[in-house]
Order: sequence, then structure tokens, then C-alpha cells
Amino acid sequence: MKAYAVNHPIGDMIRGMLPAPWAAAANGALAVGLIAGLVTVMAIFLIWLERKVCAHFQARLGPTRVGPFGLLQPIADAIKLLMKENLRPRGVDNLAYFLAPLLPITGSFLVLAVMPFDHDLQVVDLPAGVVYVVAVSGLGILGILIGGWGSNNKYSLLGSMRSGAQLFSYELSLVLCMLLIVMASGSASLREIVLAQQGTVLDWWIFKLPVAGLLAFALFMISSTAELNRGPLDLSEAESELTGGFHTEYAGISFSMFFLAEFVNMFASAGLGATFFLGGFLAPRFGVPPLDWALALLPGVVWFFVKVFALIFLYMWFRWTFPRLRIDHLLSLEWKFLLPVSLANLLLAATLITFKWMLP
Amino acid sequence: MPAPSQQSDVRGEGYALPPGFSLRETRADGSQEYFLNMGPQHPSTHGVLKLVVRLDGETVVEVVPHLGFIHRAIEKMGENETFVQYIHLTDRMDYLSSHINNLCVCMAIEKAMGIGVPERGEYIRVVVSELQRIQSHLLWWGAFGMDLGAVSAFLYGFKEREKITALFEELCGARLTMNFFRPGGSNADVPENFPARVKEILEDLKFSLDEFDVLVSKNPIIRERTLGVGALPRERAINYGCSGPVGRASGIDFDVRKHDPYSVYDRFQFDVPLGKHGDCYDRYMVRMQEMRESIRILEQAMASFPGGQYRSKEKPAYKVPAGSYYANVETARGLYATYMVSDNSFKPYRIKSRSPNLSNLSAINEMSQGGKIADLVAILSTLDLIIPDIDR
Amino acid sequence: MGIGKTPPGGLPGHHDPDGRYLSDLLGNAGADAAMAAAVAGGGLPPIPGAAGSGGLTNAVDWVVGWARANSLWPLVFGTSCCAIEMMATGASHNDWARFGLEVARASPRQADLIILAGTIVEKMGSRLITLYEQMPGPKYVIAMGACTISGGPFYYDSYSVVKGADRLIPVDIYVPGCPPRPEALLFGVMKLQELIRKGAWRNSIVPRPINHSPIKDEMSETARLWEEKEKLKQEGMKEAQERFKADNPDFKGFVIKRIAAPKFDEVARVPRPARGISAAEMLAILTERFPALTVQSVPEASGEKIAALGSEYVLDAMVGRDDYHALVAFLKTDARLRLDFLIELTAVDWKDRFDVVVHLQSIEKGHKVFLRCALPHDAAPEIPTLTDLYSGADWHEREAFDFFGIRFAGHPDLRRLFLEDDFPGHPLRKDFQDPTRVVKRPY
Repeated sequence: MKAYAVNHPIGDMIRGMLPAPWAAAANGALAVGLIAGLVTVMAIFLIWLERKVCAHFQARLGPTRVGPFGLLQPIADAIKLLMKENLRPRGVDNLAYFLAPLLPITGSFLVLAVMPFDHDLQVVDLPAGVVYVVAVSGLGILGILIGGWGSNNKYSLLGSMRSGAQLFSYELSLVLCMLLIVMASGSASLREIVLAQQGTVLDWWIFKLPVAGLLAFALFMISSTAELNRGPLDLSEAESELTGGFHTEYAGISFSMFFLAEFVNMFASAGLGATFFLGGFLAPRFGVPPLDWALALLPGVVWFFVKVFALIFLYMWFRWTFPRLRIDHLLSLEWKFLLPVSLANLLLAATLITFKWMLP
Repeated sequence: MPAPSQQSDVRGEGYALPPGFSLRETRADGSQEYFLNMGPQHPSTHGVLKLVVRLDGETVVEVVPHLGFIHRAIEKMGENETFVQYIHLTDRMDYLSSHINNLCVCMAIEKAMGIGVPERGEYIRVVVSELQRIQSHLLWWGAFGMDLGAVSAFLYGFKEREKITALFEELCGARLTMNFFRPGGSNADVPENFPARVKEILEDLKFSLDEFDVLVSKNPIIRERTLGVGALPRERAINYGCSGPVGRASGIDFDVRKHDPYSVYDRFQFDVPLGKHGDCYDRYMVRMQEMRESIRILEQAMASFPGGQYRSKEKPAYKVPAGSYYANVETARGLYATYMVSDNSFKPYRIKSRSPNLSNLSAINEMSQGGKIADLVAILSTLDLIIPDIDR
Repeated sequence: MGIGKTPPGGLPGHHDPDGRYLSDLLGNAGADAAMAAAVAGGGLPPIPGAAGSGGLTNAVDWVVGWARANSLWPLVFGTSCCAIEMMATGASHNDWARFGLEVARASPRQADLIILAGTIVEKMGSRLITLYEQMPGPKYVIAMGACTISGGPFYYDSYSVVKGADRLIPVDIYVPGCPPRPEALLFGVMKLQELIRKGAWRNSIVPRPINHSPIKDEMSETARLWEEKEKLKQEGMKEAQERFKADNPDFKGFVIKRIAAPKFDEVARVPRPARGISAAEMLAILTERFPALTVQSVPEASGEKIAALGSEYVLDAMVGRDDYHALVAFLKTDARLRLDFLIELTAVDWKDRFDVVVHLQSIEKGHKVFLRCALPHDAAPEIPTLTDLYSGADWHEREAFDFFGIRFAGHPDLRRLFLEDDFPGHPLRKDFQDPTRVVKRPY
């Protein structure tokens, strides 16, 4: 494994005290622990955040009764969902019905395996990390499709068919955005992509490639909102049309799996956004030495989470502002607008990279 | 009873259509249409309406509404209550226009008994009716936003509506089922701070309506989803008996307040907003305009709010001479009429309320054919249905 | 009354004669006095079981109860007026999200709580039972508003309203009001939370189907008991007053000033002239074409007689069954009349005949005309349909068929509009009687 230039003093110090093999093992264990523990807690926290953010957008308070600021609200929900009666509606396809909730959450956790939380704080750094991300995130689509099919409900079927069409379409522009970044960084490893953005804030890919970077970021945000099945592109759920969409027939723990996957997915997606465009775990530098030194005091993992939460807030802002699109508008938006724009943007970026027309 | 032709096979394989659907050609490519039950418990049917939708993929082929899930026998009950007692039952029909419904019954009784209403009473009626119209439209605006996926709009609409509801509570002690108007005037006088409160609400409202325009009316997604969706041409709208904002969006220049004025509506300057195409966007814009027109009426009425007695001499019950009496008003949803038949007693022999929603909904099949499921939701939302008013 | 001390057989007024629901509700409720006291005090019950057996189980129960109480996801269910107040409870001013209730689920599979907001009628009753059965346990029901508690304003004379939703599904909390204010609903929710924290829960109860045995007038019975109680109270008051007077001979009594009820003068009615062409002119146009036409309650009508009825009068014409369809077609198409808008079509049962009543209006000219057509009073009187002239007549005719049993010949889809297909009889006929559905008003 390649040794990386580590620029964080405290992390360096801790790692420096351990012999090399121990340091690597400690990093791996920490990363796994982070994913298994912290991310689950984080997803629960995100549920709380979503409810609070939404409430304040709507001039309300949101949960206040359970714990300080209602922080324990999602925990109460989780325990309740676990203790609910487990239903098997009449006529469901057993295998599909019970397998479906497991797939989306598996997919989103697998994405997190290659996510660089910090220098070395990563379960595995695959050389083809981007390809892997695209591959495993397909599991979520599969879960929604077979869940809708196996539920023996027309609303579920409609929801899953919608989401099939929607997710496969938006995957295209999403992958094109990723491709652009891979092209710019010259690597498909997520850590390499982050490290390619070292320098000042202007070296982040969102700013470094003039126009193309910002455009790619906007395209990424739109396509990933569609991939996440979140409003305004939550066509497969579409409560006012399809009551619950693909999860209409799911109750209790199976439903909580879908529910949790939505938030872990959002976290993973925002993590990818931060990694690709906002310099991942790198502390922002502005070329002003004292300020840069002060900002770099915080460990990379904190910066990673700061960026991720900024993007998550953006997702929530979308959701609680815009009305929902219609399915045919949604698809024509992708095929007639986003996809050509992504392709053109890719060409633009290629030109910029070839002729080195980038910010210094 | 379904006609015999309704029961015959479409494909000749023992495949019969559910009641209410008309026959069509069998599809040539071997693919199948299917039926989807929307309701009676469904978030976008706004109550307990059931729609059986015949779908080709996501495209709506035919819609058959099923009613009666909240049919409460109000007309039968009215036959055993006095004329004045019937007023409180009309609250519970179109509960977002309850003041205006009450007014209609009072007007019918006034017509039968030859009761006059003092100046102040008439002004109270107009002011309260227009406030009611605004709060109904505000709730509709919120529900429209929610149906189209903009959940926050729902809360904003409710937030504004709550101010008017609070005023109504000061006025008559109820937030929803008012029972405020009486033959000859109203149940009580308005409180002293009423004009100031109304002024305050109107100022707030003008500001919020502009905000609403920015949030929803000018939103490209909303325009995309409503322009050209669910169009109802003028002739068809008249033929179906559509009235209120639904009819006016189709270009029917008919507003009872303007064209058959009651109370003192003929003293105020206001316009009747009209649409051209009768699509969801027109229905939306007509209602948004109507709120502004109501504000205009209210401002004029509050500027010349007279003193004096607020009602004429009252009686606990009225012995209505034999005959039939008819009165109509413009509720937030259209032409609402009370038709009562008396056999010279204290109780109506037959009392019937004409529901604007019933006629408006009956056009839904024609409006939604060829659209998507999402369009059906938008159409239902812009029809602004109150199901208990349809079912009575 | 403590919930744990309810006598077997149920609370009075609760439609639970065999105590089935109640015993289930209390099946898991601890009779722990400390817990009950803590709950009554408004706080969380103490974690029991530090001493004594089953401590861990009790702690788990406590956590589960806490979670269930704080995570009540309501079903999106509202039938009428109360639904608006329920929505207002969710809106910014009252915000039920504070209690974790804002996750309203449209699918019953994911809901824990049905708030029965609005009247339940028989046609909806079977659907309500289905919804309840689709919910996974533990599930809770709040009956919001008078209608779901007892039928409320629709208790008497209504042939379709279910007299209390607890005749169909078990109800945990009753929130009275018509409609209850949002604060009242929130109070009901908090009471339900208390109940759940105490450990009350129910699972997989088979709801009762609607049964059509004759209904007893429980409302009048309750009113009678109430009056008796009031009388006793009054007597007690009188006694107390006398005792007070005897103890305080110097007391002169309170000075009560009554505010005089305002007196109102009669106000003369200002008639509003009917719009468009006058009734007399209309009569002239019609009799020219249909000489057999008569006018309701004006025998041998003429232009002068009609004009004498005042400017407000709208022509109320009576037409024979044979002329009925031709007359309406004439009214619609004639260039002078253009009555293109069908306001309503209904019927009146005169015991010896039916009148089909048609109200028409002209959108352009503004005038109206009322038509009547008398039909014989038999099981299935028949009249031509107007659906070929007005599409809107479709549902009006179905309604008249539903309520009066009048058949409209040529109607494309003559089914009942509101009531179930197997509803016995036609309810708005004067001879309609059904003791299994209707409670007759005692006064």
C-alpha cells in the first residue's frame, strides 16, 4: 500500500507512536467501527435532523418531548418499529418480500466501505473505487424492484416500476459526473481523488475546473437526489399518489430497514459528493497561513462530516421546498436535458484538462 | 342497476368490467389494462371518495367515482327538525364554507317569511362570507401544494388560515362549524375590535399571497404539472353544471355574487376572474385571484361598516306557509342552493341542498382521460372537493 | 375511576357488554399503585423492579412502553369536519410533531394509531374494519368528535350513520367536541400516551361487523339519567342554601344584575327582482308551445296572476310526464330561453304522488325556471332521463333513484349513488322505516 503524505499533526502523532502493522490494523478497525457504529447512529441522527429541519422550514418546532430537543425521537421510533407485529400480507412472494428490505441497506453500507473518512481511515482503498461504488449502489434499486413486485399490491408495483425507470436513467448522468472527476484526478480510487484536491479551496474539483466543475456538481446533486428517491424526485414513494409506493405493504422491522436505508444512502451520497467535489477529508485552506493552520487543527474526519452535513442540508432543503415532478417529466428531464448536458460537460472538462485550462 | 350492456365481456373470456365503466375495444397488442382503487382512504382524495381508475400503464383510461362513504342522511334529518335547526346541519356539509351555507338556509327562510335584514346585518354577512371564502381557499392552496409534493405549502396555508379561524372563534365561539347566521341577521354582533382585526388580517394576507406566488404560482415544476392538464372546455363545463372557480376557470362567466346578487354584494366593486382553458393552472389562478378580489370586497365593506341593529326581530321557530322556496349563494366551491318545501308547519316537508362539488366532480372522468395518475391527483386537488358536501 | 379498577363488563356507555376489549386493554396493565400514582402525576412511571422478581422484564417493558408512547404514527384518515381540526393539530400552531406524531402514514401497515376524525357511516364501516385489520399490532384508536363517540348530531333520524365507532372497532380514547379543538385532540393523545406507558396494549382483535339488530335509544336513556342526577343535585343545592341562610341570618343575598336582552325591530324585506325575462313572459313562451302546462299553486295561471306574485317569483311550472323531456329540450335550445345550466334535479314524496323537480338556469341571461313532473306513487315510477341533454343530470338522477326509487328510462348507468347496493328501500320516501338503522327522535 502506498504511503501517503499525511498532513494532520495529531493523527500523525498517534499513528507515529504505533509500529507500522499495528497502525494499519488500528486504522482498519477504526474504520469498520466507524461505519458499523457511527454511521448507524448517524442515520438515526439524520432522521432527527430531517424532522427538525423540516419543522423549522415549516414554522414548527418538530419533536421536543423525548430527550433534549427531541433527540431520542428516532430511537423511540426504532424501538417501536422493532416491537411491532410482523405481518405477512396475503399473496406476497415470500422470498422477494422478505429479501427486499435487506438489499438497499446492504448496498449503502457497502458503498461506505470505500469511503475515505480521513487519511488512512478507510476500510479498503480499492484502485477502482468509483466502479465499485456504482456497482454496489445498484443493489438498492434491486431491493426496491423486488420489494414492489413481491408485495402483491398495485401501488407497490407502480412505485417499483417507476423507481426502476427513474434510477436506471439517472444512474447515467451520475456516472458521467463521476467519470469527469476520475478523468480530472487521474485515478478511480476515492482516496486518490481526495488527495488530488490538495492545496487551497480553489483546488477542489468544484472550483478547479472552471464552469465544468460547478456544473458537474449541480448535475451530481440532481441525479443523486433522484437516486436517493428523495423529494422532489421521490416518484417511487409519492405519498399523495401511491400512498406509500414500493413500501406500501411493509410494516415494522422490514419498513424500518427501508427507512434507515434511505438515510444511510443519503449519508453515503453526500459523502461521495464531498469526496468528489469538496476535497473530502481535507481541511479547507485559503492561502492565509494562520487561518489554514487553525483550520487544520481539526482532524480530517471532522471536516469530512462538516462537508457531508452541508450537502445533506442541501438535500433537505430541496425536499421541503419543491413540488414533485411527474414521471414522464422526470424521465424527459434526464434523457433530453441532463444526459446531453453531462456529455457536453464531460467533453468540456476533457478539453480543460487536456489544455490545462484550470485554476492555478 | 347496471344496464345489461355493462355486464357483457370485453374479451369474450368471462372478463367483465366493474360497474360504471363503458366498453372499449380490446387492445390489439395483447397487453392488459388494469384497475386501481384509489380510496376511500387515500391521501389525495381529501376524505372518503373512492375512485376506480382504469389504467394503461400509468395512463388513465377511465375513472369511475364511488360516493356515499360519508353520506349522513342530512336531508332526511332535516325533515324532522325545524327550519332554523336545519342551519346547524349545513355547517357539516361544506365545513369550509359553513357560514355561507348557513346564510343560504337563512335566505330561504327569509324569502318564505318576508323577513328583512338591517344594514349592519347585511354587512356582517358579506364580511364573514368573504373571510370564509379566503380561509377556504387558503386551506385549498395548502392542500394543493401537498398533493403536488410541496408539503411545506400545506403548513404555510394553514398558518395564514389559523388567523381567520381565530377571528371566527371570537365571533361565534366555533372554529369550523359556526351556526352563526339566523333569519333576519346573525346570532350575535361582531366584537368591538372586529374591524381592527380584519384590517390586520388583510394586511398580513396581502403579504403572504405575494409570498405564495413566489413559492408555488411561479414555480416551474408547478406550471409544468398544471398547464394543459385536466382541461374542461366551457360547453362541457356548463353541461356538467360546473360552477364556482371550476366553472369560471373554464370561462363560464357566472358568479352568484355578481350575476344574481344577494345580501349587499351589488354595492361593492369586484371582478370575477375567468380562465380560458379550464385546465388545472386556470383553476389554480382563478382561486388565487379570487382571494385578492375578496380582499377588495372586505376593504370596501370595512370602510363603510354601518352601525345600528345587527338583526331584525327574532323568533325561535318559523311556521313557514305551504309552498316551495329556493335560495342560492356562492360558496368557496360554487353555486350552493337550498330548496325547501313546506306543508305549512314548523318543519320542512322536504329540504334539499344543491352541492356544487357534486356537479364539479361529475366531470372528472372527462377531465382525466389520457392523463397520468399524477395528473389525476392534480385534477382532484384543483377541483377542491369537500366530500361530505357531495354526500350530504 | 382508576383504569385498573374497572368492573368486568365494561364502563357504562361503552359498547362493550362482554368486557372483551377492556379486558384485553388491561391484560398487560400493571396494577402497580406507584406506577399509577406516577402516571396520574404526569411524569414517567418509575423504572420498577430494582427490588423483587422480574426486574429486567419490567425494565424492558418500561422501555418498550416509553418507545410506543412516544412514537405514535397516525394513519392518514379523515372523513369529515374533524379531519380539518386534525390537520390543524398537525399545522404550525399546534404542531403534533412535538409528540412525534408528524409521521402520518398513508399506508395502514406502517401506522400505529387511527384518529377517527369524522362521522363513520355504514358504507365506510366495513372499510374502517379492513383498515384496522391491516394495521400491525399494537394499535390504538382515538375517537375524535361526537360523531365517532355516539353518532353525535347524527344520532337521531339518520339511517346511515354508525352510532359510535366503538360498535365496530375498539376505541381507546374518546375526545368529545363537534369538532374538538386541536388542544383537545392533543390532550387525548397525551392521555393515550399515559395509557400506553402503563402498558396497555392490544393486538389482533377481531373487530365486530356491523350488525343490524334494532337500535335502542341509548341517548334518551342517558339524558334521562342525567336529568335525574341533576334533580338530586338541585335538591342538594336547595338544602345547602337553606342551611346557609339559617347559619347566616344577616346575609342579604347577592345582587344579581341582568343585562337586558336587546330588542330588535322588524325590518321590511327589500325584494330582489329575479334576473332575465320575467315569469309572466316565460309562461307566455311556454304555453304557446305546451298548452297543457300548469303552474304550481296558481290555478288557471295567466300573465297578470303571475305578475301579481311579485318580482322575486320564479316560474314553477308543472308538466305532464309525456311532455317532460320535450319541454326540457325546448327550454335548453330555444333562443329566447337558453336554459343551459341544470342547477339540480330532485324529487319530493307527496305520499300520493312523486314530484320530480328540475331547476334550470340560463348562464347568459340569468333567469331561472323550476319544473315539476308528477309521477304515480308506486314501487318503481318511471320518467325519461335528461342525461342526453345535460351530462350533469347523470348523478342527480342516480341520487333521485337512490333516495326515492324513481327510475329514469334511458339512463346509461342507473345505480345507487350513495348507499350500498343492498340497502333495503329508498330512505327519503315518507314511508321508509328501518328500526335497525334509525333511532326515532323522542320529541
